[in-house]
Amino acid sequence: MKFSVFQVSRKGGRQLNEDRMGYSYTRSSGILLLADGMGGHPEGEVAAQLTLQAMSAQYQKEANPEIADVTAFLTSAVMGAHRQIIKYAIEKGMLDTPRTTVVAAVVQDGTATWVHCGDSRLYLVRNGKLVTRTRDHSYMEQPPAGQTAARAAERINRNILFTCLGSPTKPVFDITGPIALQQGDKILLCSDGLWDSLPDDDIVRQLSAKPVGQAVPDLVESALQKGGATSDNVTAIALEWETPDEFETTKGAVSTDHISDGVFASTVQSGSLARGDDDLDDAAIERSIAEINEAIRRSAAKRR
Amino acid sequence: MSKVKPAALPPDTVIGGYRIIRKVAAGGFGLVYLALDSEGQQVAVKEYLPSSLASRSAGEMAPLVPPEKLSLYRLGLKSFFEEGRSLAQISHPSVVSVMNFFRENETVYMVMNYLEGAALQDFIITARDQKQQKVFRESTIRSLFDEILRGLRIVHQHKMLHLDIKPANIFITDDNKSVLIDFGAAREVLSKEGNFIRPMYTPGFAAPEMYRRDSSMGPWTDIYAIGACIYACMQGYPPNEAPQRIEKDRIATALTRLRGVYSDNLIEVVEWCMALDPLSRPQSVFALQKELSREGERRYTKLSVAEKVRLQFDTMVTDTKKNTRSIASSVVKPK
Repeated sequence: MKFSVFQVSRKGGRQLNEDRMGYSYTRSSGILLLADGMGGHPEGEVAAQLTLQAMSAQYQKEANPEIADVTAFLTSAVMGAHRQIIKYAIEKGMLDTPRTTVVAAVVQDGTATWVHCGDSRLYLVRNGKLVTRTRDHSYMEQPPAGQTAARAAERINRNILFTCLGSPTKPVFDITGPIALQQGDKILLCSDGLWDSLPDDDIVRQLSAKPVGQAVPDLVESALQKGGATSDNVTAIALEWETPDEFETTKGAVSTDHISDGVFASTVQSGSLARGDDDLDDAAIERSIAEINEAIRRSAAKRR
Repeated sequence: MSKVKPAALPPDTVIGGYRIIRKVAAGGFGLVYLALDSEGQQVAVKEYLPSSLASRSAGEMAPLVPPEKLSLYRLGLKSFFEEGRSLAQISHPSVVSVMNFFRENETVYMVMNYLEGAALQDFIITARDQKQQKVFRESTIRSLFDEILRGLRIVHQHKMLHLDIKPANIFITDDNKSVLIDFGAAREVLSKEGNFIRPMYTPGFAAPEMYRRDSSMGPWTDIYAIGACIYACMQGYPPNEAPQRIEKDRIATALTRLRGVYSDNLIEVVEWCMALDPLSRPQSVFALQKELSREGERRYTKLSVAEKVRLQFDTMVTDTKKNTRSIASSVVKPK
């Protein structure tokens, strides 16, 4: 299996980067992951990180070196991540649960299969054209029955999602594929920070014109510029599919042929929840103190 | 880096509604005061004030943090919060409880119940200086660790690890209760030398995996420390540190010397807890409790003459290495 992959995540104008991304692969299978922790709820970045960890851990367990049933895997991995977030919130005694979107694509046997929940997107581009992209789980992209998309665009806040991971209601997600890949196909996973600033045409054009190693940072940079000082986090990860046995591939491409069975490579860090480089600011200190006092009160109540 | 320790707040200072009586302890993370709450109840107030990152001259209230140390200071604060968070979730007589958490004087304070008594460490030193054959009686050891394990079990149930269990962190109150203290701060300490956070461990009590800081840490890591604490209660001294044991393990020999003094079961429990391989240890506190509370007559297997001779020889060798153990002489003495 041969492919090129490139990922970039930038904080933009926000205080925190709540986006997380990563990929793992074995000799004959790979997974790309992207999660965008949601604002308006606590610790979005933790939800995103937990999702990546849970899904990549399960991937690493099941990819031997391929996933036997990709659809079943994606379903259980998404639900597993969702449960992890809920469990985290319960253990921490949080009043509200952290939430995140997710989009993940498994590439193996020359096909791609993906799952998404929320408004993080996947674009599949072939020969300069958009083959398909995911439809966000927002009221704007999927308006309630009886409303046209145009009307919806006027009236509906595009930011409002009707599903995500971590919410007390069961997540709704869509699985697409398997779709056969051709030489040069590109798969882009991105957070709304990217597609909100750049029209689909731009995304498709830039992605087609350049190798992923250039296209991804350029796309992210132009989204950040358009987003200006208050730009959302912008995260993108893209893969270019290269059929084996072709002549010399793009420089820097990943060839998985040398990987032996039972071994995987991963950019997703397992273990502790790294909160990134976010400094503890005054608001965070106050929040921590409030959280601790809340937990003290709960424990005291239990004792009585 | 200033060598001057931050000045303690003077007696009668009121912070967050608590009136300070006196400073009772100072550690890397700050100061601990005995204070009275509004109802006149004694409490312990822990002030976050890492001496390597912040200074305070006498008469001042707020600590002074040089700008270049500010981010580390805040990072350390996270560990302090970690301790508060951990303790806040647990309500158990064998685990020190936190009562309040507040911000004042540009730093943060944790209010805990005030314990009167002494650390197990102090009891061990006092007991071993009496040069008795036994440092502690076996029944004392069993009941003490029974209480501690009950507390530790709750800690683990909350998906937390203590990671710095040692006799200095086991407190024996004047009404004979044992309490696990000093959480969270255990996880990371601010390095005194440089501008980085370094994992902390206490030699002798830290399991080998603590040195690697990898994902193999679990309940068994705290259980290793429990084994080491029991060992210290039997020997009067901490065991060799884990890296040293990996080179040459003297624990088994040291425990053999205690045969006949302590029951075979207790010695085996310590060996089990202190296995270098994490998987060979009790995997949960429950498994250990079950073994430790096993009723029935205690069996004591005395040393044979040959074993005594071998031990004596071993003692001579280690003695020449200036590694005298007072207990050694008492063991080889015929009972």
